[in-house]
Amino acid sequence: MAELHVIGQIVGASGFDESSLFCKWDIHAGSAWKLLAGRREGQTQVDDPQADDVAYWCHPIDVHFATKGLQGWPRLHLQVWHRDAFGRSALAGYGFCAVPARAGWHGVACGTWRPRGGPRQRLARRLLGGGPQLRRPGPALGAAERFRLRTEAAGTVHLQLAVLPRHFARYGVQS
Amino acid sequence: MAAAGSPDVFLVAVSGQIESGQFPGFDDLYCKFCFVYGQDWVPTAGLEEGISQITSKSDAANSTLVWNFPIDITFKSTNPSGWPQIVVSVYGPDFFGNDVVRGYGAVHVPIMPGRHMRTIPMFVPESTSRLQKFTSWFTGRRPEFTDPRVVAQGEGREVTRVRSQGFVTISFNVVTKDMKKLGYEVTPSDMQNHSLVSVTEGIHNY
Repeated sequence: MAELHVIGQIVGASGFDESSLFCKWDIHAGSAWKLLAGRREGQTQVDDPQADDVAYWCHPIDVHFATKGLQGWPRLHLQVWHRDAFGRSALAGYGFCAVPARAGWHGVACGTWRPRGGPRQRLARRLLGGGPQLRRPGPALGAAERFRLRTEAAGTVHLQLAVLPRHFARYGVQS
Repeated sequence: MAAAGSPDVFLVAVSGQIESGQFPGFDDLYCKFCFVYGQDWVPTAGLEEGISQITSKSDAANSTLVWNFPIDITFKSTNPSGWPQIVVSVYGPDFFGNDVVRGYGAVHVPIMPGRHMRTIPMFVPESTSRLQKFTSWFTGRRPEFTDPRVVAQGEGREVTRVRSQGFVTISFNVVTKDMKKLGYEVTPSDMQNHSLVSVTEGIHNY
């Protein structure tokens, strides 16, 4: 079987209006992919940067997949949340990015979005915090259930991923 | 010799240096480093831990703390999972001269052979309750990690609140042996990271 190592970090996030951000992440892959080692999901620390608007998480990722097929190349689902002064958590952005399909070290910038509520919800969000969030974000991060969902832009999540394939060439796969 | 036939271990030789740090508002800092790696990994030569000199800013470099501290270690492993990470922690005196932590950070040793620069953000843990915040202000004892290695682990991070307040720049020279023979596709990195620029441009905003 061909193997794939993904080793790197969720470095941080920039461009969000909120501070005190954290990120929930998980890695999705097709049914032919088997996770041999490493954590498939996690949650980062909460960073409240001292002087600028970039939150740093430095969250390590180290996963080892074995695969019998190429369908369902692994991808990362990211949910950025923010903690306000009262200790409440509210959604700041959803995003996904594919694991780069090329051996080597990659800096990945993942743009994120969040559901946009009506005018009253937007005003409430501005004054009180909170705001709409998806009940089940999993399907909406894919392509299947985006129809008629209204969203607005949020910040960018920065990742650094090293991709290390093994025995792909033996099966005639170029990456 | 096994190296002539099909090898089952590969070697990663890492040299380089902890070049410098940017810590606005802090001075007279020193750094410690250690390596954290998975259970398949064994260091075969070199130093796993180190502690640097105390450095200050000067007229020549008025915002950069230069350590120029060497790193030199060789690992062997059968499996890239658990690839080594370098954990750096920076300490310095507070107003009363006690040593307090000014930042923790970690980064993976680069996988591709060649020369690589990494700028790692540094953060300190924060108290979660107001009472603890007050007592730490009053006694001058900041919260610290009892073992800095936790910053290289993904578990249990969700309960940690931190404040990022600086950067450390490390240069790595990585040489690997027998990775290609084991079937890994290791190409010399031909693209330097562009995204990193946008992440670390926060340095200039201070």
